[in-house]
Amino acid sequence: MQSISPSVLQRIASGEPAAVRECIDEYGALVWSLARRLSRTPSDAEDATQEIFLDIWRSAGRFDATQGSDKVFIAMIARRRLIDRLRKTTSEPAMEPVEVLESVAWSDPGTGSETSLEAAQAARALQELRPEQRQVLELGLLHGLSQSEIAARLGMPLGTVKSFMRRGLIKVREFLNLDAKSVSERV
Amino acid sequence: MSETGSQDQPDDAMVDLLVKQVTEGLSPAEQRALDVLDSALASEHLREFERAAAAITLAAPVQALPPSLRARLEEQAQIHAASATHVRSLRPTGTAAAKARRVSRSGAAGWFAAAACLLLALFGWFRSPPSSVAPTADIHVTVPPATMPPVPAPKEPPTAAEERATLLAKTESRKITLGATKDPAAAGVTGDVVWDPATQKGFLHFVGLAPNDPQVHQYQLWIFDGGRDKRYPVDGGVFNVPANSGEVVIPIHAELPIVKLAAFAVTIEKPGGVVVSSRDHVIVLGTAG
Repeated sequence: MQSISPSVLQRIASGEPAAVRECIDEYGALVWSLARRLSRTPSDAEDATQEIFLDIWRSAGRFDATQGSDKVFIAMIARRRLIDRLRKTTSEPAMEPVEVLESVAWSDPGTGSETSLEAAQAARALQELRPEQRQVLELGLLHGLSQSEIAARLGMPLGTVKSFMRRGLIKVREFLNLDAKSVSERV
Repeated sequence: MSETGSQDQPDDAMVDLLVKQVTEGLSPAEQRALDVLDSALASEHLREFERAAAAITLAAPVQALPPSLRARLEEQAQIHAASATHVRSLRPTGTAAAKARRVSRSGAAGWFAAAACLLLALFGWFRSPPSSVAPTADIHVTVPPATMPPVPAPKEPPTAAEERATLLAKTESRKITLGATKDPAAAGVTGDVVWDPATQKGFLHFVGLAPNDPQVHQYQLWIFDGGRDKRYPVDGGVFNVPANSGEVVIPIHAELPIVKLAAFAVTIEKPGGVVVSSRDHVIVLGTAG
């Protein structure tokens, strides 16, 4: 997990101007994809992407490679910002019709299409969930629907949605921590 | 980050709140409910849930950055790098800072020609709310520290008024007078903005602005950038005016870099601010032309 050469984030933190631009090259697609999924319009997603990169550059000094990958660090910053923006636009109409929401697929574990170790671990954990549990996670985490919106859209009791969301996150968390422990035991 | 760091496990109520926080955010009441719980335990588990949620989102496919957005980000990166250089060096001589200033000044000649158009655009902004959403409000990103001039550090941190005076003394800074509108809340209000395009730092200064109850409403600053769509001013954050304060100085925290400063406006909004202003209560306006 820990690279030999400093990551882009560590280079930004150390004040290397070129790293700020490299950060866009390396993570632009990731941030844009998150923003596009969790914003109500393309224009909103563009503004969100700009805000997220500012957050990333300003927070680069807090990145700790022993606590996770740079991609997870960036995704965490992006999600915080996007959720905050979503909460401020709750009166706006829903983002996308349900048929669009259903079209997004997770990576298959082991295909190499995941973008990081944590993504591969998450994909493996998701494979152990029931399809309806995965769907709840997908609608909540990839499309920014609230638990109430998911319940309404899927015709599920709110309590079931909460339970699925909770179990899914705990399952992924367990996979991440198991791998972290096995790595630390090998070291 | 691992669970081995604590033998305590969060109860169901805490887990429910933490899961909701990382998936859709909490309402003020839910946040207060979480705040009264074990903060150390909540923080530890919140980070783990955030990490899990982030890892899940990484397992989904990504799409390429649009070229136009990439160009804006690269311009933003240039300004950020220049600003960081400016902050790190008390005597910035690098080309990056100078270039950033050139970027921010590159449209100066055009501002005069555009002044009339801007007034019309502002008029349009206040008359017809855009159909799309504007930049978000309320997350006040940390302004890089150490933007003080090269003098020995004072024992006490400078007040906003002192920082404004320091900024005003810089040759790079600009002062823009704010004019009161006909809104009843604007009666007797005078003010100005001091803004440094190189550091993206600025201060609002008001005399006579009525104190507000933050539970009822807050003031919100909007910054018009000539490099952006005029319908979507940049959110400058929300602020309050305490009781018995005839004169106030408020630091500006722009959510996005301002490339071509065009104008400032202050509105009255609900607590926490809004993404799109209804423009029902525009208090002051000032153009940079």
